[in-house]
Amino acid sequence: MMRWARRHPGIAAGGTLLVVIVLAAVLAPLLFTVDPTALAPARRTRPPSADHWFGTDMLGRDIYSRVVYGARVSLIVGFAVALLASGIGLGIGVLAGFVRVLDNVVMRAMDGLMAVPPILLAVALMALTRGSVQNVIVAITIAEVPRVSRLVRGVVLGLRELPYVEAAIAAGTRTPLLVWRHILPNTLAPLIVQASYICASAMIVEAILSFIGAGTPPTVPSWGNIMAEGRALWQVKPFIVFFPAAALSVTVLAVNLLGDGLRDALDPRMTKRY
Amino acid sequence: MTLGRRDVMKLAAGLLAAPAIARADAPRVLRFVPQANLSSLDAVAGTQYVVRNAALMVWETLYGVDSSFNPQPQMCEGHEVSDDFKTWSFRLRPGLTFHDGEAVTTRDVLASLQRWMVRDTMGQIIKSRLDALEAIDDRGFRFRLNKPFTKMLFALGKGNAPLPLIMPERIAKTDPFQLIKEYVGSGPMQFRTDEWVPGSRAVFELFQGYQPRAEPADWLAGGRRMNFDRIEWQILPDPATAGAALQNGEIDWWEQPIPDLVPLLKGNRDLVVDIADPLGNLGSLRMNHLHPPFNDPRARRALLMAVSQPDYMAAVCGGDDALWQPTASFFTPGTKLFTEDGGDLLKGPRNYEAAKKLLAEAGYNGEKVILMVATDIAITKAEGDVTADMLGKIGMNVDYQALDWGTVGARRSKKDPPGKGGWNIFHTWHAGADCINPAPYTALDAGGAKAWFGWPDSPAVEQGIVAWYDAADSAAETAAARAINRAAFDDVVYIPTGFFRQYQAWRHDLAGVVKAPFPVFWGVRKT
Amino acid sequence: MWRYAGRRVLATVPVMGFVALFVFSLLYFAPGDPAAIIAGDQASADDIARIRVSLGLDRPFLIRFGEWLWHVLNGDLGTSIFSNLPVVHLIGQRVEPTLSLMLLTLLLSVGVAVPLGVLAAARAGSWIDRLVMLFAVLGFSVPVFVVGYVLAYVFALQLEWLPVQGYTPIARGVLPWLRNLVLPVVSLGAIYIALIARITRAAMLEVLGQDYIRTARAKGLGLAPILFVHALKNASVPIVTVIGLGVALLIGGAVVTESVFAIPGIGRLVVDAILRRDYPVIQGVTLLFSVVYVLVNLLVDLTYSLLDPRIRQ
Repeated sequence: MMRWARRHPGIAAGGTLLVVIVLAAVLAPLLFTVDPTALAPARRTRPPSADHWFGTDMLGRDIYSRVVYGARVSLIVGFAVALLASGIGLGIGVLAGFVRVLDNVVMRAMDGLMAVPPILLAVALMALTRGSVQNVIVAITIAEVPRVSRLVRGVVLGLRELPYVEAAIAAGTRTPLLVWRHILPNTLAPLIVQASYICASAMIVEAILSFIGAGTPPTVPSWGNIMAEGRALWQVKPFIVFFPAAALSVTVLAVNLLGDGLRDALDPRMTKRY
Repeated sequence: MTLGRRDVMKLAAGLLAAPAIARADAPRVLRFVPQANLSSLDAVAGTQYVVRNAALMVWETLYGVDSSFNPQPQMCEGHEVSDDFKTWSFRLRPGLTFHDGEAVTTRDVLASLQRWMVRDTMGQIIKSRLDALEAIDDRGFRFRLNKPFTKMLFALGKGNAPLPLIMPERIAKTDPFQLIKEYVGSGPMQFRTDEWVPGSRAVFELFQGYQPRAEPADWLAGGRRMNFDRIEWQILPDPATAGAALQNGEIDWWEQPIPDLVPLLKGNRDLVVDIADPLGNLGSLRMNHLHPPFNDPRARRALLMAVSQPDYMAAVCGGDDALWQPTASFFTPGTKLFTEDGGDLLKGPRNYEAAKKLLAEAGYNGEKVILMVATDIAITKAEGDVTADMLGKIGMNVDYQALDWGTVGARRSKKDPPGKGGWNIFHTWHAGADCINPAPYTALDAGGAKAWFGWPDSPAVEQGIVAWYDAADSAAETAAARAINRAAFDDVVYIPTGFFRQYQAWRHDLAGVVKAPFPVFWGVRKT
Repeated sequence: MWRYAGRRVLATVPVMGFVALFVFSLLYFAPGDPAAIIAGDQASADDIARIRVSLGLDRPFLIRFGEWLWHVLNGDLGTSIFSNLPVVHLIGQRVEPTLSLMLLTLLLSVGVAVPLGVLAAARAGSWIDRLVMLFAVLGFSVPVFVVGYVLAYVFALQLEWLPVQGYTPIARGVLPWLRNLVLPVVSLGAIYIALIARITRAAMLEVLGQDYIRTARAKGLGLAPILFVHALKNASVPIVTVIGLGVALLIGGAVVTESVFAIPGIGRLVVDAILRRDYPVIQGVTLLFSVVYVLVNLLVDLTYSLLDPRIRQ
């Protein structure tokens, strides 16, 4: 076990850290937290103390509780986007790789989507709707899908040229079986690695969206909007921004380490694709 | 690419150019951070405070209120009024010119006033009583009314938008519902359209042809003597950045520092921080009177019982108790018409149980209450958050919709039921100067469908307002005000969330900064 | 070579068309009403309706799209609803700051990251490698505005070496221009350096493991020539790819950086426009960015074909 950890330090460190954070998010009510939305304007912006480990924010809410509950939002956004973008991107990529007719149209559409910088795309999509966690997830997913679909399509096109796949096609194997047996297993590895990067990126994009004011609504404590609310006071009450910033950085770090480790472990030749 | 000697010299000069020293050293340039972005300068068709503030530099009005709200002649030499207050004659000062060199004539005045009267409440009253607005000669003109109107001078000299600004005739002919595209006025500063970067910077330059009046300046009255060649408005939406820039000397004057940063600024010996306007502001919780639950006055009164002004004000004022006071009045504390008659429900300890009971009586049964919160403005966000909490305390089912000010501005005009794109509650605030009496006070109107957003319908309030307009003397005015206040609380036109003031901050080398409902740029100079 | 280039250029047309349609539709269906904002705080519902009509906001989709497209092809990106200035003019005012920010960040990042990545690859597995990778991962993980605020606090407020905000046009002197850009460029560069360093290292490792490198070393060639002449040249394809794709990241980061440091650039322009529903500005800017992005990728593709002749097939 220890030897395995030493050979794969990325997975070990990143994975452990991530597990701890997920546990903290899930067990939030048990971790000495109070209601993260309870207002107490009379006790606003108190520095960290025994009563409030991370201090209180501009409305008197306990920052420690908000940060712990905030882990839920960031993790949900990160995982949901990673899963959705991977799944949809997989579907589109396989379709484009197999069905010639669709390939051109779909890939042009994906290129079109990719031509718009992801933050702008997400902000524009958020401007269409009300701020909510679901809408943030949808907006960021839409921005990430094109890249995944390109990746998958590339893999699929490459696989299709391999002798054993050509043989299978020649032998008359039906496409769905082909996809299931030969294509999918080979896309899994790069997809998982890509998914981890998407997860990290989604968490940061959520923070940026909230920073600009186009992210999760203020009723929901997320690291992004705790920082956005505290940003005006960073010079006098830096703790309001510092704690969620540290939490976000550590989590994203964990996911990135995990992703790096997975990439090194799963296929060293994959270093060419990022 | 070969460089000749000339090029090398120029390059060297460029490299050695004095670095942008942190201090704004130029003594004739003022760098100011306004409260919001300036998107146009039309203070007749648009009513944002920031637009009004800019317009005051570029244009003038016929009269101008001083710090006691008494209108004084500005562009006019004086006036004559008939004993029955139905005929008002005015004469322009000689030598007034626009920035393009043309003289100001009666034709410009008439066109400007016509445009203004369409949009402004007092203007509309004048227009409804107007027999004729005619020129006497090219510097004189006259209003002929069919009903007396005593407050003409105040209407022509008031400082709240829509402003009765005098523009060249060709520009004043713009449809009153469309923004003007050319900014030419007769005021002490001209607007440099070519240097305007909307969202970032607006530049005003001294108009050499301006001749200020002889009297000392006092708000909008008296001589507007400018001591700057250039005034640069820098739009810095991030308060942390603005605060840092002020401390660093990169800007000279910050219109609305956020209260949390004020202690830091006060502790800096290079800066001066003081109350911007003793007339302060009234926070506002506005309900939709057209649809349930707040179409029932009992539900509205239940909110009155639950609103805790100290909570709202602590949130809005950044915990600085010196900035606010509770108020059970729709009129500005410290002014002539201030009265707390009828406001008892707002005073005293909060009674959530009684509020819940009253809600039940009004037939509230757990329906969703749509609360629109503009999260990009600090004041409305603070108010919205406290309201959400308060509604929860009295058992209401809150749908907190985090929006931006633009969207709130759009949706609040919709009279649709809340479930279908409408709303139940939104927040705003009003400058104290706009709440001193019913004249500038759009938010107090309770004419139902014609009233401001929320559409309160209270015949008693309307009667009170008419009584004020027709009041013959001061005693009658105050009596009318008391009646208005009582009726407004009875029918809960809106709920004042408290009276609060704001600070302004500037570098200590700036002298002549005064307290007023708007930033006054004349008289300010760098020492 | 030219035929390849020609094909690639033609391929961008449908992409651009799709972007145009997509962007236009996105905002056509958006809630929020610029007419209400212009009308201001004290306006009534009727006032707002009149302003809507006068702005032409009540006409059907295809008509508005067709009109817009026609104007675009004639070089007219419309007029901002809020400032009544042509969108092209607004963008023109703000191109220099954003371009300065992005180019300098690009230069700094590539200049710092590529050597770092090469170093890490050359000393793979050592503590230098781990340190560089740690910094790279950190740069990727800390949000850009946090980096910006910290740098501003230390260097602008405490040490007073640099200004805290603003932009000085290069016409007023190279040194003032640089001074305003140091902090934003470093903040923005952190992510980009992280990204490029990682890819450089990965690509270099890939290449260094190849046979021909071992042959070169066996032949006695020194490490530096091997690294920079042979290895880097072959690793450059993925590196250039990342630089190209990273431009999108840069634009996104520029939006935040411009906000923190009050730089009057295109990023801030578009964020303000989106929050205010200033359709012409949003459409114009997004179109512009897409064109830039597509051109950058075109350049990247063409560079590939220069670096790697096999790709031209």
